[in-house]
Amino acid sequence: MSAAPATASDDPGADGPPPPVLRAAAPPPALPIPAGRVEPTPVALPTEAAGSWDQVERRARASQSFWTAVVGVPAIFSVLRLGIEAGGELQTTLLLVANVGPVNLLAGFLTTAARLLSTVLVAVFALGGVLAASGHRLARRPLFARWTEITPGWFVVASFLMALVTWPLLYLPLLLPAFAAAFQLRPERLHERAAVRALIIVGGYAGYLWLLVPTLRDAWRQGEPLPIVLLVVPPLLALFVAGPLPRMVIQPLAPVTQLAVLVVLVWAALPVISTPVLPLTVTTVGEPGATSAGAAEEIRGHVVTTDDVNMVILEQRGGVRYVPVDQVRGQVLCPSEEELPRYRLRIHDFHVEDSLLEGLGRRVRPVHRVDAACR
Amino acid sequence: MGVSLSSSRWRSVATTAAVALTLLLGAAAGCDSQQEPDLPSVQEKLRESHIWGQPVLRIGVADDEPLMGEIRDGDHVGFDVEIARYIAASLGYEGEHRLEFVAVSTEDRIPALQGGVVDLVVSSFSITEERKKLVSFAGPYFVTTQEVLVPTRHKDTIRTIEDLRNPKYRICTSGGSTTEAELEKNQVRTLVVKDVWDCVKGIRAGNYDAVSSDETILAGFLARYPTEFEIVDMPFGTSELLGVGVPIGDPALRDLVAYFLDKSYQQGRSGEASPWLTAYNRTLGPWLRGEKRQPQPLDVPRLVDFDDKAPQR
Repeated sequence: MSAAPATASDDPGADGPPPPVLRAAAPPPALPIPAGRVEPTPVALPTEAAGSWDQVERRARASQSFWTAVVGVPAIFSVLRLGIEAGGELQTTLLLVANVGPVNLLAGFLTTAARLLSTVLVAVFALGGVLAASGHRLARRPLFARWTEITPGWFVVASFLMALVTWPLLYLPLLLPAFAAAFQLRPERLHERAAVRALIIVGGYAGYLWLLVPTLRDAWRQGEPLPIVLLVVPPLLALFVAGPLPRMVIQPLAPVTQLAVLVVLVWAALPVISTPVLPLTVTTVGEPGATSAGAAEEIRGHVVTTDDVNMVILEQRGGVRYVPVDQVRGQVLCPSEEELPRYRLRIHDFHVEDSLLEGLGRRVRPVHRVDAACR
Repeated sequence: MGVSLSSSRWRSVATTAAVALTLLLGAAAGCDSQQEPDLPSVQEKLRESHIWGQPVLRIGVADDEPLMGEIRDGDHVGFDVEIARYIAASLGYEGEHRLEFVAVSTEDRIPALQGGVVDLVVSSFSITEERKKLVSFAGPYFVTTQEVLVPTRHKDTIRTIEDLRNPKYRICTSGGSTTEAELEKNQVRTLVVKDVWDCVKGIRAGNYDAVSSDETILAGFLARYPTEFEIVDMPFGTSELLGVGVPIGDPALRDLVAYFLDKSYQQGRSGEASPWLTAYNRTLGPWLRGEKRQPQPLDVPRLVDFDDKAPQR
């Protein structure tokens, strides 16, 4: 990645303790690299010749730990989610484990956690970029700076792309300063002549604002200051965010921000863990022959499985119901209350709380009908 | 001091400020994304209303007003009934097993709401200041005018309000209706019966000479007996705003009904086939003179619902 060459190789002292990524790699992965290579710490060979070898080995281990994390974290999260989905009941958890396929589970996890995952990656790389740019002013290189340096550029770009398609539109402008920070991009890169540079920036920003004028006007009318700030300010910050920070700033910034990201990760992971794995449905159940109104019952819950005899429904309020299939009269898919929007703002008919993916999806299937049974 | 700052110092301060602001905005966005919506949601309003958890919704409708609310082959049909079905489905009551229509006469509409016999009344219920003291209204969902229905034998003799004042003619109307009050204001002596249907039967039997009521109700009888009657357009000053009656003690339900009526209104404005328009075309549309559109409902609350993110264009 572009930030790495400036600072990565000039600091052999940074090799002290192994990067914590490696600790995350503790479970022995089924990967071709022998596990034994993970064990020795690189402190042993501080010679110049060992320096480049050390870099190579570090990259290899980073790649190993990366793939371990890619496979392991979703797997662990998914199992945790199953436990929560089952309401903490062992037997219900086992029922879910028996019926929810690993591929479905992983796909479900990625669907709900992609936003969190990309947010964490973007935060790590942006902070890593900032800390790496001024890291030489510290005795010990900050963790995120080291992570950013050993991560291949394509992965950083991929993380930003994932954020681009999964973040709500309202927060997308924040990606600009984050990107500038991660790659330490300064406006000087745009053009060598200051006048042309200014022209490009002013023109680009004016076009951006012109695109947002209706949304900003609505936000102003509705008395919502935060969306205005979130849409207007970040592009300007992107102009100044790259560059080394003063020593007195970087010293407290490194530990505080790194801790904050980890705390936020845990805090934001909790809702993701408790997001249901299975879709929410309402099933209308009644005796096969009965025609009277009172005979029908509506079960709100998640369908675990259906076979020839029973439909197994995990009720929303808890408990599992085995409903004979010939008693099922109807079934509808329902939205959950977590999907309710907070703002009444749109950017050219895309709701500000929709991601690009969701917004495009709504273009394809514009009509959304909430079935009466879902109320 | 600003002059003495070197370019790099300035740059460093700008970077610090930019980084700090970015972090701040990121934190603000993070906190913001975890917050609950400020506006109440439809689900919250439903939980506040008295119908929450009720297995069946009871709606008071007329059963003797052709086109508006009548029973045909054992089923309730009519414009009011269609509107009632739309509101019920929006509130989560769809299908005959969840919805019960209760026949209410014109004068029983308010007592039925007050006594809890019905949860809603959709029965040509004009919104008036007097009634607002007793029940709540959501709407209007229709604007109509007061007209007079005369048998063809009188179609050339009863043409003006002056003719109605002629003691020779026996003018009939339904009790407890806004028409009764309006006729009284115009010094027209009336014979008050329970329902407009009784007036029509009376005219056919030769007991009355004309009946006055809302144009929508009269259009229904004209549709029933197209060769026997005619509607006479008279300049009664007031327009009737038909609304959905809701118990006065349940503002949440009133808000919900108003919200869903407005939803239909917005759909109609954007050129879609709104539930209102479908109901109108299936019932009243062919029988009313002049084109009608759904009026804008009043006092519509701002609520959040699941489909708020759907594209509007």
